[in-house]
Amino acid sequence: MAIKIIKKGIADSLQDQGRYGYQHQGIQPNGCMDYLSAWLGNAIVQNDLHHPIIELHFPAAQIQFTTNHTICITGANFVPVLNEKSIPMNTPIQVNAMDRLTMLQPLEGKTCYVAIKGDFEKPQWLDSQSFNGKRFEKEEQILILDQSDQINPNFKFNPLVIEKVHHFLFNNHDPIRIIPGPAWQDLTEDSIHHLLNAPYSITPQANRMGFQLAGPALSLTSPNNYLSSAVTRGTIQLLPNGELIVLMADHQTIGGYANLGQIILVDLPRFAQIKTEHLIKFSLTKLATAHNLYQEMYAQFKH
Amino acid sequence: MRTSINKWTIYSLGDHAIVFALSAQIDPAILHTITALRQFIESKKIKGVLDLIPSYHTLTLVFDISPFLQNIDNSSEYMKNFGEELIISFEKEKKQIHDPVKEIIKVPVCYDPIFALDINTLSDEKQISIASIIELHCAPIYQVYSIGFLPGFTYMGTVNAKIQTPRHAKPRNTVPAGSVGIAGPQTGIYPSESPGGWKIIGKTPWVIFDPAPSKLSRFKVGDQIQFYPITTLEFDKLNEYK
Repeated sequence: MAIKIIKKGIADSLQDQGRYGYQHQGIQPNGCMDYLSAWLGNAIVQNDLHHPIIELHFPAAQIQFTTNHTICITGANFVPVLNEKSIPMNTPIQVNAMDRLTMLQPLEGKTCYVAIKGDFEKPQWLDSQSFNGKRFEKEEQILILDQSDQINPNFKFNPLVIEKVHHFLFNNHDPIRIIPGPAWQDLTEDSIHHLLNAPYSITPQANRMGFQLAGPALSLTSPNNYLSSAVTRGTIQLLPNGELIVLMADHQTIGGYANLGQIILVDLPRFAQIKTEHLIKFSLTKLATAHNLYQEMYAQFKH
Repeated sequence: MRTSINKWTIYSLGDHAIVFALSAQIDPAILHTITALRQFIESKKIKGVLDLIPSYHTLTLVFDISPFLQNIDNSSEYMKNFGEELIISFEKEKKQIHDPVKEIIKVPVCYDPIFALDINTLSDEKQISIASIIELHCAPIYQVYSIGFLPGFTYMGTVNAKIQTPRHAKPRNTVPAGSVGIAGPQTGIYPSESPGGWKIIGKTPWVIFDPAPSKLSRFKVGDQIQFYPITTLEFDKLNEYK
């Protein structure tokens, strides 16, 4: 009735929709980096969309199952194998007691999800099972409460949606769309030009808190001191040395750096999956467009 | 989306937050209005609101797009009206908001150099005795303007100009929990052990952040705090970290 971490990964954790309602106390929201892949995995094993899910980064943890479960692997393709045998992604997989799940190679993307049918017996803290900074340790066990909860074999999640989501996340070379923030107007003309035209990339200094970008340094028209105010996931901060940082799921709640803008919510999963060697371009979009894109995406998961 | 009404500026922050801002100043009166607006919006129990985060002159409302904008065609227009109407009704009802007189929370701090890692250097740099630094740090009634950086980390102001000092150019790898630091006009307490760049001039024996859901952050934005000095012996007696 459990899964066990046989080998520790670099930054693996349990995540759900996040821990909201406590940011005024400085508590980070956490949650899945690529919530689209998490929704997909949960939908395929017939969990609630926001059900807690195992999030893996490469090199990833090796996991052993102690009983039979239905699982599904989504998100980054780390070449998953079950006991030496390769298994497909985005499809329900039956695993048996003593089966071992290993991730061989970071072929595509950066964040992989293992959805498991059933409820995790992990302490809930402040309405969420998302780990707050903690990572899976070696020998750590995650108990699964509801074994009898089998998936309905007659239900199959729409393969067209799977295809579409995969394409959106990994084969999409469209710019990452942003909405200008309060400090946008303080950027020099050159800086605006760079940000909207030059290629950027994500440096290896990328973790669940934030992604540092490599690309042309930006500057403000005059040195400016901003009073600290709330930031969100997707906030693009300009550091005093001209570098950019994009805040991700474990971001701190308040920031005092220049807030240039926000990546729109629908593009954040795509951004979270971009590897260091790929180039990114940014483009501006409208608020209503961002909302429509998100609502359209969300609607595909609701039945 | 950006609009102004009375003294307020309202703007969207990305696609899932709205900011209500007053003029950008460190001012207890402004903070007071921000925390009152927070109370007001919280009491409205608006569907889809995830967080209401006050900080200095802003209140940021974070929302879940799907329930918050359900069946809304022109979301930009909707958010503009939503923000303006909220401020209008807040200003109308403001006088009726229950506003208890704030008690000043007296927080013990031990300024002994065994905890106050930077107090000797500060004393040398500023040519001010340690006793005077303590006196200057304990005199003001500080406002909690913001909580962030770490769960429960309080940004308080305003520190007396005579002891204001910049952050360390290179942050320390570890600052112990309870450490009291200063940075420019701000003072704050590290709620847990973490890296940190503020100059450390003391340590409180109080636990500032307790993960127990009924406790969490000991202070909240808008609280009034005054420090008082204690000896190492008193620190041991009051020590909540044991």
